[in-house]
Amino acid sequence: MSYKQVKRMTPAMRIIHWVNAICMVGAVITGLYIGHPYYQTFMADGAVDKYVMAWNRYGHFIIAIIFDVTSVLIAYLYFFSRFEKPYKKLIPNAKNITEFKAVLINLLTLNRKKEFDSSHADSFNTVYFTVFHLLLVWMLFTGLQLYVHGLGSGISSIGSWWPWMLHLVTDWTIPVTGGSLMDVRIAHHMSMWFIVCWVVFHIYYQVWRTIFWKEADIAIVIGGSKFVKDDTEK
Amino acid sequence: MSDRVEAVKKLFTSKSSRIETNKGDTYYQELFVRCEARLNELRANTPANRLDFSDLLEENGIDRREFMKWASATTAMLMLPPMFTPLVADAAVMMNRAPVIWLELQDCAGNSEALLRADGPKIDEIVLDIISLEYHETLQAASGHQAEKQLEEAMEHFKGQYLLFVEGAIPMGMDGQYGTIGASGETFHDHLVRCAANAAAVVAVGSCATFGGIPAASPNPTGAVGVMDVIKNKPLINIPACPANPANMVGVILHYLLTGQVPELDSLLRPKFAFGYRIHDNCERRAHFDAGEYVEEWGDTGAQNNFCLYKMGCKGPMTFNNCSIVRYNEAVNWPIGVGRGCIGCSEPDFWDKYAYERPMANAKIKAPTGGVEKTVDEFGLGMLTAAGIGIAIHAAASAVAGKREKSGESHE
Repeated sequence: MSYKQVKRMTPAMRIIHWVNAICMVGAVITGLYIGHPYYQTFMADGAVDKYVMAWNRYGHFIIAIIFDVTSVLIAYLYFFSRFEKPYKKLIPNAKNITEFKAVLINLLTLNRKKEFDSSHADSFNTVYFTVFHLLLVWMLFTGLQLYVHGLGSGISSIGSWWPWMLHLVTDWTIPVTGGSLMDVRIAHHMSMWFIVCWVVFHIYYQVWRTIFWKEADIAIVIGGSKFVKDDTEK
Repeated sequence: MSDRVEAVKKLFTSKSSRIETNKGDTYYQELFVRCEARLNELRANTPANRLDFSDLLEENGIDRREFMKWASATTAMLMLPPMFTPLVADAAVMMNRAPVIWLELQDCAGNSEALLRADGPKIDEIVLDIISLEYHETLQAASGHQAEKQLEEAMEHFKGQYLLFVEGAIPMGMDGQYGTIGASGETFHDHLVRCAANAAAVVAVGSCATFGGIPAASPNPTGAVGVMDVIKNKPLINIPACPANPANMVGVILHYLLTGQVPELDSLLRPKFAFGYRIHDNCERRAHFDAGEYVEEWGDTGAQNNFCLYKMGCKGPMTFNNCSIVRYNEAVNWPIGVGRGCIGCSEPDFWDKYAYERPMANAKIKAPTGGVEKTVDEFGLGMLTAAGIGIAIHAAASAVAGKREKSGESHE
C-alpha cells in the first residue's frame, strides 16, 4: 500500500493562513483590552512613559490593516487563483451539494461513512472558510466605522480622502446594526466571539480529520500537501 | 423594522458626518455680503418686543469688552472666520427680532430649566431672554383658552417666519392619548403638526425631542418618538443632549438670524459646528486614556488624580458633542470635569445603549428579540462553552465509536 502526495496549499496561501492566525490572536488580545482594559498600569510611572491604551489601539489598527491586505488577496484568489479557485466549490450545484452533505455525514457519523473524495478541497470546508472570511470582512467594516469617529475633522495624516472613503464605505453599518454608534460597537465585540467559536471548531475539525482520516491533513497548512492512498498502484 | 429598512435606504443619499472647517475665502466673502444684507433688512424691521439687549447686559454687569469676547468665541464655535465677529455681535443685539414659539411635550422641562436656572445669567442666557418668545407653555402666564388664543395669534402674525422650538418626545401609542394639551384636549402629535405647519424651521431641543430620549427608552410604553419621526416636510435642526446646551441653542438661532439658513447638519440633523467631534477628542482627561490610567472605583487614587473614567463607563469615545469644549453654564464645568463619566446623552437610544455607567463589555444588553439581558461577554462565553461541549462530546464519541481508515489498521 502506497500513498501519493497531493499538493493542497501554495506557499502564498500558507503564509496568508499563518499571518491571519497570528493577527487573530493579536486582535483578540488588544481588542479585549480596548473594550475593557483588563490589566492596570503602574501608578508610579508618569503618563508619558506608559501609553498603554495607545499601544494597544496601535497594535489593533496595524493588525486591522494587515487583515485588510490579506482579505483583498484572498478575495482575489477566490476567483483568480491559478492553483484552485475556491468559488467553484461555493456554487450550489448538485455536485457541490452532494459533496457538502457527504462531508457533513462523515463528521456526524464519526467517520463511519466516508463517501467522497478527500484528496482535494471539499465543499463543506470551503463554505466553512468562506463564513470566516465574511466574518472578517464584517469586522473590518464595523472596526473602520469605529475608527473613523476619531477623524471628525475630516482630515488625516494621509489626506482627507481616507476619512471620506471610510465614511462612504462603512456608514451603512450604523443602521444595519441598530441605529446608534454603540450598536456598531456591540456588533463588533459580539462578532469577536463568533470568530473565536469558529476558530475552536476549525482547529478541532482539522485535528479530527488528521486522526481519523489518516491522511495527514494537518500537514496541509505547514508543508502544503496531504497524503492519500494511491489506488492506482493496486 | 420598517424604520430600519428606511434607514438603510437613506444610507446612500445621506451626507457623511465630515465637517468642512475651512470652505475657502470666496465662500466666506460671499456669505459675509449675504449676512450683512440680511442684518440690514432685519434692522429695518420693528423689534417684536421692547427688551433692549444693551440695557440687559448693563443691568447684569457685563461690559462691552466681555460681550465682544463672547461674540468672538461664538463666531469660532459656529466655525466662521474672525471677520464675522462684528456680524455675530450685531445679530445678538437683534435677537428680539426672531420670533420663537416653544412647545413643551413629553419631557421634564429640563431644557427650559437649563436656560432659566443658570445662577447669574450669562450672555448665552441673556440672548435667549430677549428672543421674541411668543408662546412658551411652561413659562407663560396665560392659561386655557387665553393661551390658545395667544398661540393662534402668534402663528398668524409671524406666519412662515417663526422658529418652532420643541422640547419633549411625542407619544404615539393609543392614538397619542398619552399626552394632550390645551382646553380642547389636543394630542401632542396634532399640536406639533399644527404649530409646525407655518414655521420657518423646527428646532428639536434636548434628547427627548430629537430621538425620543428617556420616554422612548425600553420598553417605551407610550410609543414615544422624536420630532424628526413626525415632521418630515420642514427644515429641522436637532440639538440633542440632556439638557441641550444653551450655547448650542444660541448658536443655531444666531446662525439662522445671520444667514437665514439652517446650519450645516450631519446625518442625524445635528449642527456640525456643535456635534462634529466626539467628547473624547477634546477631553481634558484624554492623556490618561491613552496612558492606560483609569479610575478603577469611585474615590480611589486614580479618581483623586483625575484619571480617565472609561472603566467607570464613560461614553465620551462614542458621543458626538461639544461639551468638552464649551462646557456648561458659561464654561464653569461639565460631567467629566466633575469626575463622573459621560452617559452619551446626545446620541440616539442613549438611555438603553449608553447610560449604564459601566463599559459596554460589562453591560447587560437586550437581545434583538427584546428578551434576555446578558453582557456581550457572558453571551460569547456561553456560546464558546456550548461549542466546547459539542466538540468534547464529538471527540469522546469518535474515540469510542469512531471508525479509523482501514489503512491505519492494516495489521488486523
